[in-house]
Amino acid sequence: MSAIVQARGLSKRYGNTVALDNVNLSIEPGRIVGLVGPNGAGKTTALKAILGLAEFQGELSVLGMDPRTHRDELMQQVCFIADVAVLPRWIRVADVVDFVGGIHPRFNRAKCQAFLARTKIAPTQRVRELSKGMIVQLHLAIVMAIDARLLVLDEPTLGLDILYRKEFYNSLLSDYFDEEKTIIVTTHQIEEVENILTDLLFIREGRIVLDATMEQISERFAEVMVNPDKADAARALKPLHERQIFGKSIFLFDGVDHGTLATLGELHKPSVADLFVATMKGTYA
Amino acid sequence: MSITWNDNAPIYRQLRDRVVAMILDGVLKQGDALPSVRQVAADFQLNPITVSKAYQELVDEQLVEKRRGLGMYVTEGARDALMRSERERFLREEWPQLYARLKRMNLDLQTLLDSAEKPQGAQP
Repeated sequence: MSAIVQARGLSKRYGNTVALDNVNLSIEPGRIVGLVGPNGAGKTTALKAILGLAEFQGELSVLGMDPRTHRDELMQQVCFIADVAVLPRWIRVADVVDFVGGIHPRFNRAKCQAFLARTKIAPTQRVRELSKGMIVQLHLAIVMAIDARLLVLDEPTLGLDILYRKEFYNSLLSDYFDEEKTIIVTTHQIEEVENILTDLLFIREGRIVLDATMEQISERFAEVMVNPDKADAARALKPLHERQIFGKSIFLFDGVDHGTLATLGELHKPSVADLFVATMKGTYA
Repeated sequence: MSITWNDNAPIYRQLRDRVVAMILDGVLKQGDALPSVRQVAADFQLNPITVSKAYQELVDEQLVEKRRGLGMYVTEGARDALMRSERERFLREEWPQLYARLKRMNLDLQTLLDSAEKPQGAQP
């Protein structure tokens, strides 16, 4: 078992709604994987299954364990930051630290306190007195002090200003991540994380529609800016997406030889946001 | 610090070019330590694999060496080697085109030198 997460035929329904439809995926250690999809595509459901928080059909192994039957063991090795506040509003910061210290065998209290000391959070403050950004800092301080192998982040920076967002990823990269750890992150702010990611998963209507390393993505996809006289030639190569800008057409191609494309116009690496728009078009229609 | 990467070349290449420019400009001198992979990853918000790849390129070009347990250091003679290869590259790739252009325009060496030595903004 080398994969951190391995899913085969993972499915989940809520009544008549299919949230996950036969998902196959494999996540290796030392990766930072972005799970990206429109609202309601199944991201949170997939994460919940991985964390053992939801029932599902199919096969799923996380750190070699089945999250349905080995949730307690799993939770010693897996950390999670949810997009919804889970800390009770009345609790004091020092009590949160005490509580986690009391229940988590892999929690390093000194490390947590050192992280907190770099913020404006005071141990005597109650959660309800903290701003949204400070609550995320508190979560992060706890999580970074836990020596876990898998960290799951569900919209961790939702509603935070850009300073807090940058600081969040900065801390993760400088004080937490190493080649033995694995991070799965969902976010709508793709442009802010795209250079951090090593792998990208696109999910749409419960299905994985793209599963590639960032390296494969730059080899597979290319954007070409084409003058009107060559637009038909470009269309003949079956672009994934076409948009107009300043009288030129920008085509997005998947798997077409970059040499061929270079004869049509200027070649660019598409951003993850461009890929997302092209892959998800028609989702809400 | 906010850095924009251009989308024509992989980021690890651009990072490698940045370090090369720093060596050429003397900002990084031989024997100087490069910032750690972790540090660069956090500062530029890049995944550590990208940073390692850039450093590996520099190691392959013998501009940087890995010292066990200590990190990456600019090698002795890195700047001279870079100067040499940059000069060769200029003569091979840029100069022929430039030379052809100067010939077309009938610009002689003296005019070029005079122009280069004039204070900036002066009219010929």
